[in-house]
Formats: sequence, C-alpha cells, structure tokens
Amino acid sequence: MISQRLREAIAGVFSEVDVALAYQQGFDKLHATPCFMTMPEEINKLIWNPLCVHNLTSYLPSLKKKKVAVVVKGCDSRTIVQFMQEGLINRENVVIIGIPCNGVISVNKVLHETNHEPIEDITFGENGEITVKTLKGEKTLLLSDVCPDKCKTCQYPTPIVYDRLVGDPITSDKSPDSVYADIKEFENKTLEERLQYWEQEFDRCIRCYACRNACPMCICQDSCIAETRDPHWISQRATLSEKFMFHMIHALHLAGRCVECGECERACPMGIPVNKLKRKINLDMKELFGYEPGIDPEDKPPLYTFKVDEVTIKEHKI
Amino acid sequence: MTENKNPYLPDLATVIKVIDETPNIKSYQVILNDPEKMKMFSYEPGQVGQLSVFGVGESTFVINSPPTRMDYLQFSVMRVGEVTSVIHELHEGDQIGVRAPLGNWFPYEDMKGKKILFIGGGIGLAPLRTLILFMLDNRADYGDITILYGSRTPPDLCYKDDLKEWESRSDVSLILTVDTEYPGWDKRTGFVPTVLNEIAPSPEDTIAITCGPPIMIKFVLQNLAKLNFKDENIITTLEARMKCGIGICGRCNIGSKYICKDGPVFSLAQLKEYRAEI
Amino acid sequence: MADTGFVQKEKLNDFLNELSKDAVVYAPCLEGDTVIFKAFDSGTTLCLDRPANNPPKLVVFPQSETLFSFKYKKDAEDPRKMSVELEANTDFPRAIIFGARPCDAKGFRIYDSVYIDTNTPDPYYKGRREKTMIATLCCSAPSPGCFCVAVGGGPAHREGSDVLITQLEKGYFIEPVTEKGRAILNVPRIEDGEQYAEEAHKRQLESHDLVRNPFAEDGQPKISRALFDLDEFWEHVVSKCLSCGACTYLCPTCYCFNITDEQALNNGERIRSWDGCMFSHFTLEGSGHNPRPTKFKRFKNRVGHKFLYYPEKYNGVIACCGCGRCIRHCPVSVDISEIVSYLRGPRFEFTNEPPESMGTDTNSQEQKQ
Repeated sequence: MISQRLREAIAGVFSEVDVALAYQQGFDKLHATPCFMTMPEEINKLIWNPLCVHNLTSYLPSLKKKKVAVVVKGCDSRTIVQFMQEGLINRENVVIIGIPCNGVISVNKVLHETNHEPIEDITFGENGEITVKTLKGEKTLLLSDVCPDKCKTCQYPTPIVYDRLVGDPITSDKSPDSVYADIKEFENKTLEERLQYWEQEFDRCIRCYACRNACPMCICQDSCIAETRDPHWISQRATLSEKFMFHMIHALHLAGRCVECGECERACPMGIPVNKLKRKINLDMKELFGYEPGIDPEDKPPLYTFKVDEVTIKEHKI
Repeated sequence: MTENKNPYLPDLATVIKVIDETPNIKSYQVILNDPEKMKMFSYEPGQVGQLSVFGVGESTFVINSPPTRMDYLQFSVMRVGEVTSVIHELHEGDQIGVRAPLGNWFPYEDMKGKKILFIGGGIGLAPLRTLILFMLDNRADYGDITILYGSRTPPDLCYKDDLKEWESRSDVSLILTVDTEYPGWDKRTGFVPTVLNEIAPSPEDTIAITCGPPIMIKFVLQNLAKLNFKDENIITTLEARMKCGIGICGRCNIGSKYICKDGPVFSLAQLKEYRAEI
Repeated sequence: MADTGFVQKEKLNDFLNELSKDAVVYAPCLEGDTVIFKAFDSGTTLCLDRPANNPPKLVVFPQSETLFSFKYKKDAEDPRKMSVELEANTDFPRAIIFGARPCDAKGFRIYDSVYIDTNTPDPYYKGRREKTMIATLCCSAPSPGCFCVAVGGGPAHREGSDVLITQLEKGYFIEPVTEKGRAILNVPRIEDGEQYAEEAHKRQLESHDLVRNPFAEDGQPKISRALFDLDEFWEHVVSKCLSCGACTYLCPTCYCFNITDEQALNNGERIRSWDGCMFSHFTLEGSGHNPRPTKFKRFKNRVGHKFLYYPEKYNGVIACCGCGRCIRHCPVSVDISEIVSYLRGPRFEFTNEPPESMGTDTNSQEQKQ
C-alpha cells in the first residue's frame, strides 16, 4: 500500500531533516490536513489518499533555513521547479518524496454531491470509485467526476523533480490540447458577459486573502498591495472595484509564474474561481513566449528576463 | 468623552506652535477650535490623545503638557511612519483632529509624600514630562524628585529648555547621559540601565516611573528589581499600535487588558499579573 | 393576537417580499455552490438547507463603512490656510436578518458587550443593531465542524434572536423571542402557528445530540494556563496555519477592525473595515516593532481572546459560538475545537519532547507568514 511505502520512505530520510511535511487525517472523514512531523513516532499519523489535496510545497519558502522532507504530487512538483528558478528555496535543503497521482478529490464537489451533509465515512476503491456515507445513506461517486478541474487535464501525474519516488511512474493519457479548453471557451464570451461574470464572482470576495496566503508563488509578504499604504493604491473599502483590483494584481504578479496548483481557488471560502484569471494569463504567456511555468529548473520566467529578440514575438517592422 | 457621543469623531483643532526637539522629533502645541470645549477640556497626567491628519490617518501620543498648564495641549511626535511623517509637515495654523483624553493616568495621588525616580530614554521622556511638570506645579506634595534621562547623542535629547530649568532647580536632581562620547558632551555616558546601576537609588519610600524604547524598559525593570524596588512601586507606560482608542479594535491588548483603555500606565506588578511579555 | 405564526413552504418568498416592504431583508442566498447572506430580492435564490458560508454579521458590522467624511476648504482670506469640515451619519435603515442560525445570533450578543454595554458605545454598531430584527432558523442537523453545544449554544438556542423559526414538513413555525420580534406576527401572509407549536418544539430538540462536543462533559472548557503560555504548544499545533483571514472574517464573533483614511483630492472619508488578528501587519507598529511577530503568537491571541480574555472580562462568557466556519472553511483545516480540547490540559502530550528544531527559529517561519 502506498501509505505504508510513504511512511517507510519518510522514515528513511527522517534523520536527515528537521521537519517532514505530509498529510494526516483532518477534522472529519472528508478532510486531510497538512502535518509537520518532527518526531519519528509521528510518522504513523501519516495518510495518503485522494483527500491529500494541499500543495505542501507552499510552506517551503518559510522554512528556507531548515532541512525539510516534503511529499509532493506531480502538480505540486512544478512549484518546486518554479521555486528553483526564482531562488526561493535551497534545493539541497529539501528532500522531495514524490508520489505519482491519479487525481485527488475536490471537497466542494463531494459536498455538492451529498447535499453538504456531514460525511460519516469515505472509502476509495481501486478504480477511482468513491463510496461516501452520510446520515442519509451511502452514495458512490467517481473520482473523475469529483476531482478538481486541474486533475481532468493533468499532464504531469508523476513529479517532475524528486529525490525518492513512492509508487510507479504514471504517464498522462490526457490531451495537452484539453488543458486550456475551458479558458478558450470562456474567451469566446462577449466582453460584457465576461465582465458581468467577474463582477458577480468578485462581489463575494471578503478580502480574507486566503487565496494569496495559500499561493506558493505569492512572495510580497507584508508589502502586498492589498494592505500597504506605501504606495496607497488600494483602499480598504469593500467595494467591487477594490476587490477586482486586488485580484487583477494578484493574477498579473503571477504571469508566467503560476504553476496552476489551484490552491488559491481551493482556499477561497466564498467559492470564487480565482485560478481562472491566472490560467488565462498563463495561456497568454504560453502563446507569447512558448513558456510553461514550473517545468524546467534551468529556465527563467519570461518576465524575469529580457531578450532583444524574443523568438516568439513578431515585432512590427519600422 | 461623555459629552462627545461619537467616540470616533475628533474635535477639530489648530496647531499654534511647532517646536523642533531633535532631528526627528517635533512638539506640537494645539488648541481645540471650539473655545468652549477648550475651556472645559480636562484630563489627567499620563492620558493620551489621537491626532488626526484627515486623509492620512490617526496616531496616538501622550498629552505631555500638564493639566496644570492649560493654555494648549502639547504632543511630541517622532517621525517613524506614514502619519507621523505627515504630522512633521504641519505648520502653525494647520488644522488637525484630536480625540482626547483617552486611557488611564499616573496614580499621582498614591505618590504623594513619596520620593519619585523618573527614568526616561529618548522620546520616552514625553509621558514623564507631563507628570514631572505636574509635580513641580504641586511641589510640596512630593518628596525628592530624581530624573535620569538619556538618549543616543546630545542632539537627541528632548525638551532641552525643560532640562535646563530642571538642572538649575535645587529641588530636582537631574542626571543626563548619552550612549557614547560626543564632542562637547561633558556629562555622563552609558546606557540608561547602566547609569541606573551606577547611581543605585534607594528603593526606600520611592516610586520609579520609566518610559523609553522597549529594550531600555526591559533592562531598567531588571535593574530596578536588583536594586530591590518592589513591582508595585515600578510604573511604566506602554505603547502599541492603536486604532479605535476605546478598547474595541483588538490591536493593543495584553491578554484581556487594552493599552488604549486600561493603560497606557501600568505597574510592573500589574504587567506580571497580565503575563505581559516585556 | 396569536403568540406564534406559521408560513407555508410555498409562500415563503411572498412572506419575505412582504417583510422587504419596510426593511432590507438579508437572507442566505445561493450563488453557484456558495451560500451567502445578501439583500433578498426577487432575483435571489434562497438557500436554507445549510448554514451560509459567511455569517450575517455584515448586516450590523459591514465589511467596510464610513465613520465620517471630511472636506478641506480653502480660506477665502488666505489661500494657504485650509479649514476642515467633518460629517458623520449614524442613522441607518431598518433591516431584518432572516435565516440566521442560532450560533450566528449568539455572535451578536458577544459583540453587544463590547460595542454597546460600555461607557463609549459605538454609534455605528448600536445604530444598526437597534434597527435590525434577527429571525433565526433552528438547525435540523449539524454541519461539518459545528460544535455549538460545547460552548453553551445549541441548534435551537434563543440568545440573540428576536424570532425563532423552525422548519417543519409543510412550512415554517415562527415564534417571537423578544418584543422586537413580535412585530413579525403582524406581517400579512402569516397564519396562526398554534397547531404547529407542539411539533416544532419537539423538532427543536431533535438535533441537539447530533452535534459533536469536542470538550466532552465540560460545559465550558477550562484552559490550562501553563500550557497556554507554552510557546512550544503553539508551534506544535499551528505550524500549518497560513495566516490568512478566512477564520476571522467568517467568524460571527470576531469583531476586530481597522480604521483608515481614504482620500480623493480635498474630500475623503475615514472608514472602518474588517481586520484580523491573524495578519502580521495587524499589530505592526510604525517603528517596525511587532508585539505579535509570529503566527504562533497571533494564533495564541486569537484562541486566548475567545476562550480566556473575553470570558475574564465578561462574566465567563466564551467568545466562540461553535459555528464551525473557521474549521470548515480553513484552507488547511486548522481546528480550533481540537486546539482548545488539547488546552484543557493539564499537560499536552507531545509525542516526546517539545519540537525544538521548529520552536527556536520562528523568524524564518515569519518570512512568508
């Protein structure tokens, strides 16, 4: 079983690190939660199943001075690659325990399917079937129906970088063309439709900044434009324009840096599809610079560099 | 505050004089625009006020002129952040807002008949000044008054006119110190806590009142303990980021106590009871 | 006049439209898969099946509001001189919160002690509170994370409510709790509720035992001060916290705020907006000093405020209503009820010694959070 092999893998590197980041059972059966293990006995708490949704690499920059072992899925590993590109971690201080992943669940989608009843029990079958038990009875769901959208088009089920791999590598059977299909479809809407869509979504924003703090690539810390008064570009008013402005700046700061882990959207307590904006910009970056974040540690984000002749951009002849 | 039903609404006031204290500290003498309110204004030594520059914000300062001298209210402002930088641009005649008085005050009634030891550093002399002047205006009520005051360099000493006057008075003992040697400085050098050890005041019948940078306060408190001062005879005033000034907004609490409302004046005994981290 | 009322299920929207005639009605509405309190109108879809993602505190304590406006005016005599005019409005329209949950209503009582029952009452909160009627829907089942019964509440708890509503097969049984709440019985389209009273009172008791009680038999968790003051404890239990504001902004009892001036040329406003003790800038002083520099210290303050400091000030009342939102909606499932249950001590069993390697270097933790 993968959980057992994962425990063994962590036990194997435990003496080399100060802390190991993995998952344990959360407050109910539907939630896993990150655990920071510092003592060997704690390894027994560790779990691995499709509830392990969090991108644990988000904690790495704050633990830069420590030796850390971290459990990563394919999608999470892209964050590490991006960190390496931007010098946000010391690679030699991180032991990456990779796990090939067939997809995780979206807690919200499961809750939707079960009418938000408290989940009494949840079990995962061999072939992606999920049995959920509530007070009202049992229901079987398919992982492919209740996974986050990112899993439906996942191109990197096996981590791109790792020091130990637990489980056999998986090759993606999803078409690369499918990755931005939803964004392209959304682009077909009229400007008015898109504006109306975003206005309705952002109106719910409570400015709790869960999206920002859950984002592994948000690095401005206390100088975030949302709160600083130097410069004073955004007021503390809870108006649509201020919320919009914050999310636009968040998205722009991630241009060519967002690894599309979806933590921003998962973290949002108000159900705002904030990752969509970032993915739209990533699509633009891909089309403009032929660049995909978090794939090659030797690469640099396009907006971190300057080339006199960008090979992918045709300049107007003067 | 009772007559002002909206505790967030400042009284409009005018700056009548600006005094350059040090390279980064200025004092502002202000009067409330409503003469009736100014006449009725009453406060106790140690209470604070929120100064507003409308469009920028508010910041908290002690009223460092004593209630015995009510021609104006004086606040001293060190330039450290957004609001204080803008206050430093103010001139005579400029309009500001004042929400005052806020908070508690020095227990001066309990200090009557006692010897008083003031220990201040830098702008930390401001809250002490209000009590020093108040006591000098009621000199007969108090025993020996000793003032130990220090700053980084001589130009960083605040209230130079006051210092001159206190130095010349026979009923006040003033000890000045600066951190290190400085051209033209012929008085003591050394940090305030160290000088405190050197002068080794007796704790007998004495109340110690201290205010200064957090690091100074920390060592002064330690050294007073070594000199056998009792916790209840050590008084300090605390600072914190404040917004509402009425114990609601949640920033300045030490456990269940709010510095803006239950403070800023606390005895060391109280702080220990509240488990403050000093 | 009848003592209770009843509204048929299919007439609920009509009933709310009647209520809307002389007050703004805030009700839980469905947007996508999110339930939020917002002003009810014909275009909104009511959702009473589960507690809203956000509590209705925004009705009385908006996310941002104007304290006063200011206007600089040039002196006609001397154009270098400016005078200032201030204007404050503390007169607010009538509002009704329909479909709050008992925990939400209890949250307002936590606010009242701080904002109203003091020698400096807050005219904005008080003004809105007095104009607001709270009609609370009893819970028929717990939601994930709920623990109201552990902090003195319950699925049919009345404290803070003006009206209690119980959902039955055919509709809604409506029971005034306060004098203010009695007005609801005058609304057209309400029937006499007497024949439903027995069924409703039975229903109100049904779900009480389904709610989890993480503090076991203690009606009121007793916190071990020794453990509470142990830095290692906090470092052990909240390392995963992201220091965002989801928990505090979704909390029916969290009432901290910021005051900022927002200016446009010579006019502007001083506004009050939600702020949260989990943000590092919350206590950051102009000098750069921060009395709560780490997320551990901040989290300790949040738990301390709810379970120690507030009770110390207000007759032992816990400033947590057990709604479970901070648990349900935390991006990393930090569970305050679990932390408090550990804090009952006398000692928290660290698996062995306190995790020193994590405890000593809180500054590096600080780099991001």
